[in-house]
Amino acid sequence: MNKHNTMFKKEMGSDEIETIIGPSVQVEGNFVANGDVVVEGMVSGSLKTEKNLRVGEGAKIFANITAANALIAGEVQGNIKIKENLELTSTAKVFGDIKTKVLSVSAGASLSGKCNAGEEKKAKLEKIEDWEKTEKQKTKNILPVNGEKI
Amino acid sequence: MYLYLYDSFLNSKKYSRFLAKTETRLTDLGIGGKIFRLSPLRNVNELLAEEVRNGARTIVVVGNDKTLTQIINLAAKFDVILGVIPAGPNNKLASILGVTDAETACDVLAARIIEKIDLGKVNNTYFLSNLTIDGGQLTIDCENQFRIIPQGQEQINICNFRPVFVSPAGQTNYFNPRDGLMEILIQPLKTNFWQMFKKPAALSSIIPFKKIAVRSKGSVPVITDGQKIMKTPVEIEIAPKKLKIIVGKNRMF
Repeated sequence: MNKHNTMFKKEMGSDEIETIIGPSVQVEGNFVANGDVVVEGMVSGSLKTEKNLRVGEGAKIFANITAANALIAGEVQGNIKIKENLELTSTAKVFGDIKTKVLSVSAGASLSGKCNAGEEKKAKLEKIEDWEKTEKQKTKNILPVNGEKI
Repeated sequence: MYLYLYDSFLNSKKYSRFLAKTETRLTDLGIGGKIFRLSPLRNVNELLAEEVRNGARTIVVVGNDKTLTQIINLAAKFDVILGVIPAGPNNKLASILGVTDAETACDVLAARIIEKIDLGKVNNTYFLSNLTIDGGQLTIDCENQFRIIPQGQEQINICNFRPVFVSPAGQTNYFNPRDGLMEILIQPLKTNFWQMFKKPAALSSIIPFKKIAVRSKGSVPVITDGQKIMKTPVEIEIAPKKLKIIVGKNRMF
């Protein structure tokens, strides 16, 4: 756990302004931040950041979460959508669905919900459309100038 | 052209030597100008309006934090460049701007490093440094998107400059008056003996914003720059790059 934490600290140590929601504060509504977010208190509604999110041990979140990277040590009741890395520490309690690229779970963490981790497949329809376009272009190029087929 | 505004407390005899020395230094540096002594009977607004019409572009406040915060609203209104020469006690704002004493201030004025900085605006009144709200059951509506509800006995500071009680270590990105953002700093009041030994950073919340509205159950006093007192409800927003001010090399932002 410590290894992961130190890794995460390095990621969090950027020049961006960090938002800190302390243990004595409650936030309600659609919380949107551009920089890193640290939650030690209570959040309800939705929580969205383009950067990193850290949920402290005493934190309680009743919200859907969207972030680039997240480290969760507290309680989350809601769906979590993370672009890159999601780390659940041993004290984490998650009641909701998870969607992320890379997931790491420490022993002792509790997770109740659907879990979708890994790269997404390219949609089949898009592939077929691309193939049809290239085929059409090929047949156009084969036709001669006077209209007779070869 | 320079216009020097002397605070009324400088009329005291003990400051006569200080003023003579400063005026000589300013003349030596070639930045002397008109001098006006402020008094409760003089209308500063009318005075500044007339002087700006006559071509004054730089106003230098000679006094302390109180003098500077009095002039902030007018400087923002008339779009002039503001300078500071600290005199007397309570000159925290001047030291944040990189002006520690009168002699340094003269050199800073001559060097003329001009920074455009943000101002806070509370119900159409500008403030430079911070705004303090003590206690009371408050709700803070941020950007019409989310609401902050402090749970216990808290001291709430709305900061443009770094508050004196916050140590700069580890919080370098906050409290920059040039970033177009202000910060809500919520710290629990130390009512408990054991809280005296807890690190304040571990308990505090810092939330950057552009516009908020503060409401409370009863009316709670709101103090701007430690001087002017207002009452809740108040609307607070940032006025980005509103003030042109002459700063020293050792400024804290």
